[in-house]
Amino acid sequence: MKVFIAILINKMITLACKLFKFNGTQYPGAFVQDHIDNHILDKIKYPRITIAVTGSAGKGSACILIKHILEDAGYTVALNETGSNGINGATSMILNNCTLTGKFKKDVLLVECDEQHLKLIWRKVKPKFLLITNITRDQPTRNYMPENIFNQISSVITKDMHLVINGDDPILSRLTLTHKGKISTFSIDKMSDDIKKPLLNNIDFAYCPICNKKLKYSYYHYGHLGKFECPNHDFSNPKIDYLATKVDLEKQNIKINNKDVYINKNVIYAAYATVGAYAMCNTVGVDEETILSALNNDKVPNSLGKEFEYKDHKIVMLETKNENNLSYYQGCKYIREQKGLKSVIMGFEKVSKRYKDSDLSWLYDINFELLNDKNIDKIFVFGRFKYNIATRLEFAGIEKKKIVFIDDASQILDIAVQKTKGDIYTMIWYDMVDTVLSKVGA
Amino acid sequence: MIKILHLYYDLLNLYGENANTKALVNRLEKQKEKVKVDFKSVGDDIKINDYDFIYVGSGSLESMKIAKNDFKRLVKDIKKYINDNKIILATGNSIELFEGILDYKTQEIGFRIVGDQVFECDLIKKLVIGFQNRTSVVVNNNEESLFTVKTGCGYDPKETKEGIRHNNFFGTYLLGPLLIRNPYFLEYILKILLANKNIKYKKVNEDVSYAAYEEYLENFVYNKK
Repeated sequence: MKVFIAILINKMITLACKLFKFNGTQYPGAFVQDHIDNHILDKIKYPRITIAVTGSAGKGSACILIKHILEDAGYTVALNETGSNGINGATSMILNNCTLTGKFKKDVLLVECDEQHLKLIWRKVKPKFLLITNITRDQPTRNYMPENIFNQISSVITKDMHLVINGDDPILSRLTLTHKGKISTFSIDKMSDDIKKPLLNNIDFAYCPICNKKLKYSYYHYGHLGKFECPNHDFSNPKIDYLATKVDLEKQNIKINNKDVYINKNVIYAAYATVGAYAMCNTVGVDEETILSALNNDKVPNSLGKEFEYKDHKIVMLETKNENNLSYYQGCKYIREQKGLKSVIMGFEKVSKRYKDSDLSWLYDINFELLNDKNIDKIFVFGRFKYNIATRLEFAGIEKKKIVFIDDASQILDIAVQKTKGDIYTMIWYDMVDTVLSKVGA
Repeated sequence: MIKILHLYYDLLNLYGENANTKALVNRLEKQKEKVKVDFKSVGDDIKINDYDFIYVGSGSLESMKIAKNDFKRLVKDIKKYINDNKIILATGNSIELFEGILDYKTQEIGFRIVGDQVFECDLIKKLVIGFQNRTSVVVNNNEESLFTVKTGCGYDPKETKEGIRHNNFFGTYLLGPLLIRNPYFLEYILKILLANKNIKYKKVNEDVSYAAYEEYLENFVYNKK
């Protein structure tokens, strides 16, 4: 009876949210969890294929591709919306896809799971398949340290679970030492722009977990993702099942099993999302031909980032997350690689989405040195931490004259287009996007 | 030549703490002094007494175990170094390395102390700002403290004092780019460092880090929003 009531109320609140144009991805689940039954997810009759996707970054992109491939393969798939990846979002989505008796209606349940909420979503019932994209330092106020995230994810894993993990990540590769069930691995082969030595000495996992000797890296793709081996041969990248080779970001192409595969953005995280989704879908039972057709012929647009023209300037809005150095690193690297004269806009009012605290240490884990480039004309900084950002930029060797302080964020695009020629790239935290775009109508 | 050691640079590096040696180098270069930073870690040949300044940062719990194990071989030299009035700055949980060398203990508490911190500092008569994120506390402390808590948490939640000072050893649970976020504290450290080498400190123009410090106080301490 409780299941019936919970599902009915979840559906009714969702409907009410739709009618009143209120974002209903979280609230129905929150209501059910708080007021009806906080173990409701243990009482659902799940389908044969249940997939959880978690990790510090890239889980949303991987989920979109997995859903797309599985649907092309003829499955019906339910997936929570990006951003609603906690217990409330997962509950809303799962209950909305159930009959009133608690039977899940789709062939596949695919849940993007926040790392901290993984254990709340899968308390008693566990997913059959778990994809882990990577574990990196991310929101330390919330997550403490990568080791903590690893322990939280590990606490959910059972021997019946088929893991699909990023084999370039030494933190995740530890699972091959302990997991008693099946593991499939994916990886990206050596690339032309790999790095030999990290510039900032801030690798998240540098020592062998068995003998505590320093791992030797042949190369780093970024962060601690790369090719590593313990000098005592106690620990190294696991045997890779799905390897992306000949990565050509400019042409948005990789090869898997020597076959061309399209990646939907010219950045490495798109390559990881693609090979990860490929690995998961093949593990679930989708054949290679169907996966290739889904990725190559029926392309999924990448919804991350936004490009538009404003007063004869191309504006490229990059997705960067505060408190996540690798997110900014990829933004900086992308900007560096773009040709021609360019400028950058950066700023935020709040450090965190969740907390009032203002940990700024992550600014010094970002390779802002990449913006020390002759093709960068100006860097416009704004928000309550503009001088902190400017300090970091000066430490990266960027000339003072290139750094422009803006007090009114709503004017920043107008000022930027007046003061500079060329394309403008933004790395703006979510809290200021609307303000920056307020006069543009973009 | 001023020699700086960034100890366990590849292991105790959780919160952008490379910034602290960068800050010192930057300021020393503005003083027209020659400076060299050595990055040393587990198993490396380390001659502690060769250095004028040693920096150690925060690490994960596993990394801290590895560092503590290696640090045992350096204890005797570190004791002498501190007694010789040379400078050590230990931020975050690296304060744990020095228990026993100095007269305090640390212990794990099973919960996390996390958040913005504002401390009073008698040494510089200015506020010191920063962040803590830790699961250990200092207990049985018989050393001088470094700061008095204005808002935030002492080295033990029961205490209003934070940080450890013994001669020119400065240890604090504040983590991350402490010397960049606190330009006056950096000046203070710099003056001791130069005085130890019989070099006179020259006042130089304030850079943007001073504006960042003032901006933070304005937004989060004086006019808390």
